[in-house]
Amino acid sequence: MSNLITNHDHHDEEEDSVESGLTFTSYMGNIYKAVASTIKGMSITLKYVLTKTPTTLEYPEVKEVLPEASRMRLYNDALNCIACNMCMISCPVNCIYITSFPRSKDLEIPKTSDGTAKRQVLVQYTIDTALCCYCGICTTVCPTECLQHSYDYEFSQYTVKQMKYDYTSEDLISWRDRIVSK
Amino acid sequence: MQIWDDKKYLIEKTSDENENPSLKSELLTVNMGPQHPATHGVLRIEIKTDSEIVAKAIPHIGYLHRCMEKHSEKIDYRGVTPFVDRLDYLGAMNMELGYILTVEKMLGTEVPRRAQYIRVLVCELQRIASHLVAFGTYVLDLGAFTPFLYAFEEREKILKFFEEISGARLLYNYIWVGGVWNDITDEQCDFLRNFCEEFEKQLEMYNELVTGNKIFFERTAHVGVFSLQDCFDFGATGPVLRGSGYKWDLRKIHPYCIYNELEFDVPVGTGDHGSTIGDCYNRYQVRMKEMVESLKMVKQILQKLPVGPFMGKAPKVIKLPKGEIFLRTEASRGEIGFHLVSKGDKTPYRLKVKSPCFTHVSMLPHVAPGQMISDFIATVGSIDIVLGEVDR
Repeated sequence: MSNLITNHDHHDEEEDSVESGLTFTSYMGNIYKAVASTIKGMSITLKYVLTKTPTTLEYPEVKEVLPEASRMRLYNDALNCIACNMCMISCPVNCIYITSFPRSKDLEIPKTSDGTAKRQVLVQYTIDTALCCYCGICTTVCPTECLQHSYDYEFSQYTVKQMKYDYTSEDLISWRDRIVSK
Repeated sequence: MQIWDDKKYLIEKTSDENENPSLKSELLTVNMGPQHPATHGVLRIEIKTDSEIVAKAIPHIGYLHRCMEKHSEKIDYRGVTPFVDRLDYLGAMNMELGYILTVEKMLGTEVPRRAQYIRVLVCELQRIASHLVAFGTYVLDLGAFTPFLYAFEEREKILKFFEEISGARLLYNYIWVGGVWNDITDEQCDFLRNFCEEFEKQLEMYNELVTGNKIFFERTAHVGVFSLQDCFDFGATGPVLRGSGYKWDLRKIHPYCIYNELEFDVPVGTGDHGSTIGDCYNRYQVRMKEMVESLKMVKQILQKLPVGPFMGKAPKVIKLPKGEIFLRTEASRGEIGFHLVSKGDKTPYRLKVKSPCFTHVSMLPHVAPGQMISDFIATVGSIDIVLGEVDR
């Protein structure tokens, strides 16, 4: 193997000349440059150590203030939802599942808080949070603005199935105060 | 650079008669990756090594293949944007701009001036952020840990700004057909002006810390040389092409958005300090100089930012006319091109992405033979690939 490599080197005459051009002074010059530039770099890092305050946040104790536009876990206010299916259609990853049926015309049609008639009875409104890509498209198409991104980002679970939330269940309706308000 | 011919090597090796059969040596196969710090993403490079020298390198891609092109045929034009974000997740704004410009050109939408300025602003900021990652991780590959942390500290400020305007840190979905999602307030402009001042000092500091370092220079100069002819043959773009000394930048040559109203230079590899044009050092330097140019553009935009609406008129349900279009823009890693075929439906009939990193990966087997393994890692880092874009 060593034969082979030396053979190869013979073909490259330029490389030989470069090696032979390395005099004692240029060799020492290289060492000097390396040491000098490293010391220069070290002085910069030392300046950093002495002057810079830590930028790390001690996470569980100190929490970052989220910007207003943050897109965290989705929350659907099921009481205001008219089951128009717009979010389900626009979702690029199909993570929203809605079940509903038309309300009978004999009964009085209830209204949402902004006065839209709820012509459908919402039976199930499930979002697979593990599948959601947090793009925010569903919130922009929502006509009653009942579906919105909350500021809650601490929702880890033990299994993937537990990441599916049915927003018509009473437990989740009671979450509203906790996760929608900042 | 010595050029290692694989076939010639094998012939020479088998014809070596003096070799003792009991001491027969053969090439050793080493896998670099799939999870290697030099690759942003998952790339496996099968290297055939002769002791410390790479005889052959075969990249195996596809670990991050998410079927984005096929998947986008099933979703409407607005829904494709989050997937486009995930191509080059370190430069998501640039990806979005390319896709949205493609759709807008086909749709014939007019975009308000303010929205165009904001688009270029975020794209240039994204370029800085992307090059900071390239700089930080490249130096990390070569064994210096500190500059990585310094680079990420500055990048964090840009991401903070993006989070404020778009709501997400990496995958924004910020640029929409007809404009942008959110407006930029005066406070945020002030924040950016502050950032520009600070970042100039930081760039000088990076140059002192890394670029002037003799050890860094020795590791990168004359290593992984892509000749200009190689770049043309493979179709390299972006900093790789410019590092080989060719002045080609779509922002200058075919200006889109408002790039023709801005003053900036196109930095090319010049072979400073006795390095070869087209080597790792030159590619690195092009990136560092591009950050300066991007910063110039950001300052100009902040001065010129017009008042007006940030979202123009765009149909709620986007339906493109029949036809096809190919449009390319200059992203942080090279030219990204979108070939969109429409049959008049709500969804694309076909969306083909021309990715710059894919061509750059295909250049690796060409340059690898004859390199030391450590030099090969320097080469992989210097072309700055993101595997999300290679595999799609």
